[in-house]
Amino acid sequence: MTESVEPILRVQGLRKTYGEGHTQVVAVDGADMTVDEGEFVALLGPSGSGKTTLISMIGGLLAPTSGTVGLGATEVTAMSRKELTRFRATQVGFVFQSANLVPFLTARENLLYVASLVGTPKKDAHARVDQLLEELGLADRAGNLPEQLSGGERQRVAIGRALMNDPDLVLVDEPTAALDTAMGRSVVELLQREIKSRGKTGIMVTHDLRMVEYTDRVFEILDGVLTHVERPSALEH
Amino acid sequence: MLALREIQRGGGRFAAVVGALALIVFLVLVLGALADGLFYGATGAVRSTTATAYLTSTDAAGSLVRSRVDEADVAQAAAVPGVTSAGSVGVLLTGGTGPEGAIDLAVFGIEPGAAGSPTTLVDGRLPAPGEAGVAAVDTRLEEKGIEIGSTISVGDVTATVVGLVADASYQLQPTAWTTVATWRQMRDAVRPELRGQPTVVNAIAVTTEGAPPVAALEAAVPGTTVLTAEQTALAIPGVEQQRSTLNAIIYTTLAVAALVVALFFALLVLEKRELFAALKALGASTGRLGRGVIVQAAVASALGIVAGAILARLFGLAIPAQVPVLFRTETLVTIAVFTLVAGVIGALFSLRRIAKIDPATAIGGVL
Repeated sequence: MTESVEPILRVQGLRKTYGEGHTQVVAVDGADMTVDEGEFVALLGPSGSGKTTLISMIGGLLAPTSGTVGLGATEVTAMSRKELTRFRATQVGFVFQSANLVPFLTARENLLYVASLVGTPKKDAHARVDQLLEELGLADRAGNLPEQLSGGERQRVAIGRALMNDPDLVLVDEPTAALDTAMGRSVVELLQREIKSRGKTGIMVTHDLRMVEYTDRVFEILDGVLTHVERPSALEH
Repeated sequence: MLALREIQRGGGRFAAVVGALALIVFLVLVLGALADGLFYGATGAVRSTTATAYLTSTDAAGSLVRSRVDEADVAQAAAVPGVTSAGSVGVLLTGGTGPEGAIDLAVFGIEPGAAGSPTTLVDGRLPAPGEAGVAAVDTRLEEKGIEIGSTISVGDVTATVVGLVADASYQLQPTAWTTVATWRQMRDAVRPELRGQPTVVNAIAVTTEGAPPVAALEAAVPGTTVLTAEQTALAIPGVEQQRSTLNAIIYTTLAVAALVVALFFALLVLEKRELFAALKALGASTGRLGRGVIVQAAVASALGIVAGAILARLFGLAIPAQVPVLFRTETLVTIAVFTLVAGVIGALFSLRRIAKIDPATAIGGVL
């Protein structure tokens, strides 16, 4: 190949500081990273390392102090608040720590809600929800409220919600935090399969080394400094 | 979808705010009915007539009962351009006797057919011009056993009832409409000190085309003040005060409704901060979430209005007929609109809280 394909996600010199002067805290210190289309990478780091800050800036939730984030043709760091809201609805799928589903909507309605945010025609949205819930093994749970679902099922609904609007990037924040090991594994496995089969790009924040095996590459962040590692340092012990 | 599903499945919490609003609406509707009842009961006799304005003596401050004018001045008022009719009006607040005993009465002496005649005849007829010893009476007297053909008396003067008029009370007393001559006999019978004033009446009623020519009328009949029929109604002692007091209570209560809604949704938004942060992260705008809260406030207000209106109606059926309450559709609609607006205004206070929720807090957090 003579022509190199540009990575879909390009993070350059991304920096976030809080406070000023000698009380200034550097949360993320000049992070550079690129992720190719179809890649599923892990972002490892202990609590307070800056991983949440980094993923928030990539997802358009937090404005960096300096540096840039590009996703495909979109310059995330150049967008207004309003544009960012639209960007998150259309181009990013989020899976939160605790599924954070709307408690008074059924599994099916939770997915339809995010479709309504981007104005998907009802018929298309319904067809897509049915397909997604089927794939996620939730077809018979579609009409259940979150409180009637197990933790794993809730997280699977959250994965469906993240994929609903066919985003370019899926950001996953500690998806196993509220789950036991077996359930956590099955959720991450499913996540990997869904992201890979759709050719999406995924970043999973985790502190759980056992989940690393499902990812293509690993980034580690420590005290705000991001490094790309072949093997996570903690695994060497 | 979000907003309505939450009400549908949210259960008790919305029932609480709907219940609170229903009680507020009930209270306001009953107060409104009382205000209307008092106003209509006090002012019917000057609103439900052909008169568009009344001339009263300037020292009476618009009060028909206090005013004294001379019958001879009617012709001068009638001659003013724009006046199509003028007539004497005599008023006597008194007690009388009906077939079942004592009755309260406001006797109005009028010139039948001229300005000041009642327009709300529901049965029978009015006295004919110059006809003595007959009266058309307020339908409210029906509960005192009075019907067409009955005899009522004031002092030693009797009158046969020939007609019934509706919405024609004066200062909450049922009216009897007679000719000026019969009225004067009754006045002289119960107010001996006024005997020997054969040409004195209380006011001159005029019917005009368009707005009454106030200045021309006051110039034509010196010593009088001209008030429109509506102003005359408000000048009846106590009417304006009752109305403004009850309205102040009604508007204060509606402000409480806005406050209740504001507090309810402030708490609800506080409770849903985490959820709203997640939804914002997923791309829901502040505007969309805010609209949802406003829709919820509008729906809760609407349910409260319906429940409150039903309660008020049941209350209206349960209270004794003597209580001057009047449930008018216009008042219901006005109060419903005000309640809805109050609810929406209350919900608007939550918008700032929603705007301040940072979507970035959806990530991280627990660990």
